[in-house]
Amino acid sequence: MPRFYHDDPAWSDVTPIPQLESGQVLAGISYTAEYSEAMSYLRAVMAANEYSTRVLDLTEHIISLNPAHYTVWLYRAQTLSALNRNLREEIKWLNPTALKHLKNYQIWHHRQTIIDRLGSCDGEQEFVEQMLEKDAKNYHVWSYRQWVVRRFGLFGDEGERKWCEGMMERDVRNNSVWNHRFFVVFGGLKGEVEEGLLKRELEYAQDAVRKAPQNECPWNYIRGVLRQAKKPMSTVKEFAKEFADLEKPDEVRSTHALDLLADIYEEEKKNDEAKTALDLLANKYDPIRAKYWEYRARSLDSAAVEA
Amino acid sequence: MPTELRLHVDQHVRYIQSLDTRKGELEYWLTEHLRLNGLYWGLTALHLLGHGDALPRHEVLDFVFSCMHDNGGFGAAPGHDAHMLYTVSAVQILATLDAFDELEARVSGGRQEIGQYIAALQDLETGTFAGDEWGETDTRFLYGAFNALSLMGLLHMVDVDKAVAHVQRCANFDGGYGTSPGAESHSGQIFTCLGALTIAGRLDGVDQDKLGAWLSERQLKNGGLNGRPEKKEDVCYSWWVMSSLAMLNKLHWIDGTKLATFILQCQDPELGGLADRPGDMVDVFHTVFGIAGLSLLKYPGLEEVDPV
Ligand SMILES: [Zn+2]
Repeated sequence: MPRFYHDDPAWSDVTPIPQLESGQVLAGISYTAEYSEAMSYLRAVMAANEYSTRVLDLTEHIISLNPAHYTVWLYRAQTLSALNRNLREEIKWLNPTALKHLKNYQIWHHRQTIIDRLGSCDGEQEFVEQMLEKDAKNYHVWSYRQWVVRRFGLFGDEGERKWCEGMMERDVRNNSVWNHRFFVVFGGLKGEVEEGLLKRELEYAQDAVRKAPQNECPWNYIRGVLRQAKKPMSTVKEFAKEFADLEKPDEVRSTHALDLLADIYEEEKKNDEAKTALDLLANKYDPIRAKYWEYRARSLDSAAVEA
Repeated sequence: MPTELRLHVDQHVRYIQSLDTRKGELEYWLTEHLRLNGLYWGLTALHLLGHGDALPRHEVLDFVFSCMHDNGGFGAAPGHDAHMLYTVSAVQILATLDAFDELEARVSGGRQEIGQYIAALQDLETGTFAGDEWGETDTRFLYGAFNALSLMGLLHMVDVDKAVAHVQRCANFDGGYGTSPGAESHSGQIFTCLGALTIAGRLDGVDQDKLGAWLSERQLKNGGLNGRPEKKEDVCYSWWVMSSLAMLNKLHWIDGTKLATFILQCQDPELGGLADRPGDMVDVFHTVFGIAGLSLLKYPGLEEVDPV
């Protein structure tokens, strides 16, 4: 049911401010007329700096019609603050709205403002999980989760890491989860990476590779972990060879393993082997990026000349 | 490339021209918050197609100026709050139409005012930029600020070194960049970070081979590019990924012929416009980024585009 304000007694004291645009065509489309009228009332209350319960109702109405309109959200947050409203109630209202509009940025910004004011993230992890069930790679949701980790000091938190593992079990190819794990594990780390932690992280990523050898995410993660711990890539040489062995050039199971092996051989100054790996990538396993692999092979030569 | 796959220039021009005549449709009103962006995208696409004059210059400028606020910022449409994104679009439109003199004629000291609006959005502690006075920060806004200021010759109004340091903090373990330190690598954000660094002349701090490898890894077997690992291909990433590779001089690391074929398959050959992938609904956003992608691939008959 469309909702209008011009014959509503609760709004009779407000003169709406319509948009100044020529050639406005509104006839015939009631939904558009409804939105347009609601907006003209919003302009009027904003011009009068009115903060009231009916303003909250009005913003709710406009958000239901068009949640991407950022001004509405900002004015709603100001109104909540001016009226000293119960913010838990706001979150309760916000949940279904967020679930309906997954790609909407403004909702997250609003949520962040409210939770920050509340000073507690109780229930937030469950809610984020619910959102991710609808779209497990949603950038806004993950950014928000990172904000929660930062705001409430969850770096190195075991519960947060275990939660990542649960998400990973649903989809081991979800790069957002890999990024979040890295963020949680290493984000708050000061000083050196301890051996135990290094081993745990490498083993976790290696298990994931075994499930899907061509999945790019855990390979990137392994490289990132080694770099963070300042370890040579040859640390995982035997592991890489499980998926790409130059002795068996017809049985390569992962281009990422071959790529890593090329780096390891380069690190070990075994340029011939590195070149063999890069040739296999350029000509057999990943020809769409042949120019890149050829570049890598050429830079081996120039590095050799410089040495 | 199969011969039946060609760029339908006339259809695309007509599609973009038609966008502004749909005021009776609901969609037009619901996307009002994007109006100024959409205008910039449409104008850029027409320019690349060699039909830069297909939108009436005077009316475009009238509309742009009607979005301007006293504080130097621009809203998405008349009556909307000022925001970095729309301010950047406005400056880009003025630059495309070579209209900075008209700006000064209508608003004396206008460039300076816009510059001040943008400069005030820099977070002096971290160096990054907010989108508006409410404080959401994102490397997109930082890039937008650099882009607009450099178009007006006003980059000196902000702390460039601090902003560059912030971008460098957004580098991730996989070589890519995100919206803020620690946020997942994303092609669109890589474009904004590299763009900002290119404008500042500070690509020196980038691990260019590692980032180039990550970017080229975005090409899938069907020729299209995705925005993040293990995601689906999408025409708009043609632009984000390719322009990033171009800024690193590594555009040849992906297969251009396969990518051009993919983009051409995303056209609506009858009504014009491009979609995110073949068979989907077209929109102005994917139309401009598809065409800009083809331009970077030196598709015949298109004007050359600047990757930044
Ligand atoms: Zn897209």
